[in-house]
Amino acid sequence: MQGSIQVVINGKSVAVSKEQSVLQALNEQNLDLPSVCYHPSLGAIETCDTCMVEVNGEIVRGCSTTLSNGDNINSTASHVKQAQDIAMDRILYNHELYCTVCDYNNGTCEVHNTVKEMKKNHQSIPFEAKPESVDNSNPWYRYDPDQCILCGRCVEACQDVQVTETLTIDWERERPRVIWDNDVDINESSCVSCGHCSTVCPCNAMMEKGMEGETGFLTGIQQDTLRPMIELTKNVETGYDSILAISDMESAMRENEIKKTKTVCTYCGVGCSFDVWTKGRDILKVEPQVEAPANGISTCVKGKFGWDYVNSEERLTKPLIREGDTFREAEWDEALKLISSKFTEVKEDHGANALSFISSSKCTNEESYLMQKLGRSIIGTNNIDNCSRYCQTPATVGLFRTVGHGGDAGSIKDIEMSELVIVIGSNTSESHPVLSTRVKSSHKLHGQKLIVSDLRKHEMAERSDLFIRPSSGTDLIWLSAVTKYIIDQGWADEAFLKYRVNGLDDYIASLDQYTMSYASEVTGIDEAELIRIAEMIHEAKTTVALWAMGVTQHSGGADTSTAISNLLLVTGNYGKPGTGAYPLRGHNNVQGASDFGSMPDKMPGYENVMDEKVRDKYEKAWGTPLPQEPGLNNHEMVEHIHEGKLKAMYLKGEDMGIVDSNMNHVHKAFEKLDFFVVQDLFLTKTAEFADVVLPASPSLEKEGTFTNTERRFQRLYQALEPLGDSKPDWQIIMEIANEMGAGWDYSHPSEIMAEAVQLADMFAGVSYDRLEGYNSQQWPVAADGTDSPLLFEDEFPFPDGKARLFPVEWTQPLQYDDEYDLHINNGRLLEHFHEGNMTYKNKGIKSKTPSTFVEVSPELADERGLTDGTLVRLTSPYGAVKIKCLVTDRVQGKEVYIPLNDTDDAAVNLLTSSRADKDTDTPVYKEVKAKMEILKDRGTSPLPKVNHRYGNPQPQKGVMVERKWARKDYIFPGDMVTKEANSYGKSH
Amino acid sequence: MAKAIKQIRRIEVTEEEKRANDLREIEDALLENKDALLETLQVVGGMKERGILSLLNGLFGEGDRVLKVLVDLLNQPENTAALKNMLLLVGTMGNINVKELEPLLLKINSGIENVAEHGEDTKKTGYLDLLRTLKDPEVNRSLTILITFLKGMGKDTENEGQLKD
Repeated sequence: MQGSIQVVINGKSVAVSKEQSVLQALNEQNLDLPSVCYHPSLGAIETCDTCMVEVNGEIVRGCSTTLSNGDNINSTASHVKQAQDIAMDRILYNHELYCTVCDYNNGTCEVHNTVKEMKKNHQSIPFEAKPESVDNSNPWYRYDPDQCILCGRCVEACQDVQVTETLTIDWERERPRVIWDNDVDINESSCVSCGHCSTVCPCNAMMEKGMEGETGFLTGIQQDTLRPMIELTKNVETGYDSILAISDMESAMRENEIKKTKTVCTYCGVGCSFDVWTKGRDILKVEPQVEAPANGISTCVKGKFGWDYVNSEERLTKPLIREGDTFREAEWDEALKLISSKFTEVKEDHGANALSFISSSKCTNEESYLMQKLGRSIIGTNNIDNCSRYCQTPATVGLFRTVGHGGDAGSIKDIEMSELVIVIGSNTSESHPVLSTRVKSSHKLHGQKLIVSDLRKHEMAERSDLFIRPSSGTDLIWLSAVTKYIIDQGWADEAFLKYRVNGLDDYIASLDQYTMSYASEVTGIDEAELIRIAEMIHEAKTTVALWAMGVTQHSGGADTSTAISNLLLVTGNYGKPGTGAYPLRGHNNVQGASDFGSMPDKMPGYENVMDEKVRDKYEKAWGTPLPQEPGLNNHEMVEHIHEGKLKAMYLKGEDMGIVDSNMNHVHKAFEKLDFFVVQDLFLTKTAEFADVVLPASPSLEKEGTFTNTERRFQRLYQALEPLGDSKPDWQIIMEIANEMGAGWDYSHPSEIMAEAVQLADMFAGVSYDRLEGYNSQQWPVAADGTDSPLLFEDEFPFPDGKARLFPVEWTQPLQYDDEYDLHINNGRLLEHFHEGNMTYKNKGIKSKTPSTFVEVSPELADERGLTDGTLVRLTSPYGAVKIKCLVTDRVQGKEVYIPLNDTDDAAVNLLTSSRADKDTDTPVYKEVKAKMEILKDRGTSPLPKVNHRYGNPQPQKGVMVERKWARKDYIFPGDMVTKEANSYGKSH
Repeated sequence: MAKAIKQIRRIEVTEEEKRANDLREIEDALLENKDALLETLQVVGGMKERGILSLLNGLFGEGDRVLKVLVDLLNQPENTAALKNMLLLVGTMGNINVKELEPLLLKINSGIENVAEHGEDTKKTGYLDLLRTLKDPEVNRSLTILITFLKGMGKDTENEGQLKD
């Protein structure tokens, strides 16, 4: 065996893999070693001491001792067992065993399982309660000090995986415990409720509240009966065997009641997957799995706790048909017939191009495929688009121009391992929380460097090595200047440029104007800082660039995206692990909605609708003629409605009336439609304009696949039955098509995928079988199922296999009259999704973040007399919002920030214009200016004190077990058995 | 012109319709499980006859209170001890080596038989009688067994028991 060493384990000589711990080696040999605090995703924590093992005659911790050739290991000798026993006694001193009436008794409790495995019958140190009671203050999880075994997993996860740095263990107090910030209630701390702690907790100490009293058969018992019952079980016990046997039986019975379903999160493009535990329609908890490809054990507050909306009273359960000034609930039959007849009527009267279709980036690939098939094949129009037009199309265009694939160049792992991360116009830790944790962690622990370019000093900026705040919309200039400087210094990757890239000379010529002094003048960044950026890129062996809406939602959004890709090409940062371009996709299926053809000019797999061969292929497969000219994108659709050319629209899963820019203008367009069908979970603002509203089922109620920002296909399974008469979108689309005579007969989404991958070469080898469970595939996928975690390793998808440097010029952002003196930046908040239709249904989120607000700088607050809670009106040339102020130094000067989670008076798109990126028609959401007037001087703060932004994090590396070892009452169990000492140390 | 509207007129299901729907659902379920139901009804009938139904009724009706009383009762020191002894005895029984015990039990049986036969004798046994009986091979064998047993009983069993505290 290569890479292996020879060791002796319990007297037997065996070969084991190199560079692993004793614990791993024993596990590899299928030998048991207790390991309560060890977690595969957290590594050796060294707090529990249960993995005592003898190596070469000395007792050590098996989790943290690396093996060398010839080592002699003994894990079974009686003094070794005795040392393990001492460690376990210390754990049981901190944890009361009442398994049968414990909500965590589901087969995964490390304490329970270890007691059983060690055949432990009694504890030498009786359990003793800790002085503090349970902390129930957080809306979603609780901490019970009396159950806490002080393993420190939660602290490791909080400090080193999630890197919010809220949790620590106070090792110095009489009875150590986990504390939040500087020892405040959970709900008053900097805790972002990401759920990592409750996910990794080995027992019931840190537990999701959804589990409480729900999980077991006996756990719902009233507290005054429960307590005597616990006492009874403890008094009666003659040993743990019988107790554990009963609790094991009870735990097995629970499996009949609790359903565990793998699903994929819908709250951003990271693509977290996890098991969701349900009992009837109740969601008990979300349980991330180590093997989840994008996120492992990680989640954010929305993915972990934000699923209440599926059971909301406000869910639509019947089709609605407009009748005068009310909607009338109707049966499906009536709604489908009405839609069919209206679509046919519009098509006959005005032609197929008078209809349009908007797909959702929240729906599945299969649903995107069917929507465009309906538009193209049944109606006969290419007027089909999806909401990535609002966010990420410019990035896709920038990548198509330069490297040929419109997706992330690698995987999240590449971002994690890169030496330098450049974040441009992305509030990563709030918009892509789990992905950001990989950067935060590599930066904190592994020396990764971080450069951030943003207007606003968000968390990533706070953590960065270099933070620049260029004038809004000028990123292209500094990117080009840095690229030019790198070339001028001779730091370009000559070999890469020579063999793998075309167009260098023209490109270099185009950079002439981007001198350092010009860049500094326009962007407002010191030359020295720009040079420092160039040096950092030069010094790093690998660089990745992450960007988002701060780049794309500008007049030159596609060009700036191109400039980023140019910089990466010049420095050879493509095609190697740890390099590449990462346009962070905002919604769960932004990537897939476009991948599967919901675009006016592209068929599935980005094949051109103008290409006769492509059309021919689809015409044969679908048995209908297809339209030849590209259709309208959704920005153009709005204009065409205003011009009276577009008469009918079918829109699913998108609150376009809130999220499209210049919403007054969009609402007027909706009013002009002859026939408007909206399909959604709720009666959204957009649905209010509809003639027919169709009730759809969310992700937990259907099957399908999503494609995340890494181009990764993942399956979601059905956890719940559709609520009321709601239906999965793919069924609704099929029923509309069939009402119009299509004759489709898909009985399961897998059949839709099978059809799509036969036609789109890029996805040839994608199949439901290969995506079983937590398996995933990253496109392009060859017919034999081989996928592509890292793109461009050998060639770029152009005819000669070479990438292209693409010269770009700067486009000046939209100009406003002087009276509009405040720049309105806008974007997401961690805890809300988009306009908030789903997340405001969550009581916990609502209690912590009840509304949107406008962040104003301390300078502006001084100048205008603003405080937290001052109500102001902001007016742009396009509209006005009424909104409360929050004073914070995250913003500076006359720069203000509005989170986009509002569907009413404070919706930021009341202010935005209809102007758009010149290449892609993506609205210039980030080019807004407004003036301010004060409506009410004083008011309550829009952000309650229980919001995590007021917290006081306590950064440290891991759980700091050395402080435990330094306690006077701590004795290493290995020393106690060699010394034959009688007194058992009690410390934890 | 389609203005934004929010009002929804729900499909009103009349009491009668709802009742009819529910009844149909129940009817379907009844027919589907005909055999099982008929058999269950017999069982229920039997339970009614013997008063078990009313007993259960009371139990379920006041579930939490009954459970509390029960738990409190069991939690009395003497009851706890009883439960504990029971569990201990069950554990101890498992430890008895029946195979080795069998010959001994046969001997005890034969001893008992002997007592049953001659137990009523009023005859007194003097010291000399006692010494003489030692010579009797049957008595001698018994004594040897008893002494071996006493020796074993005196051994340290500290590390074998379940009950340490």
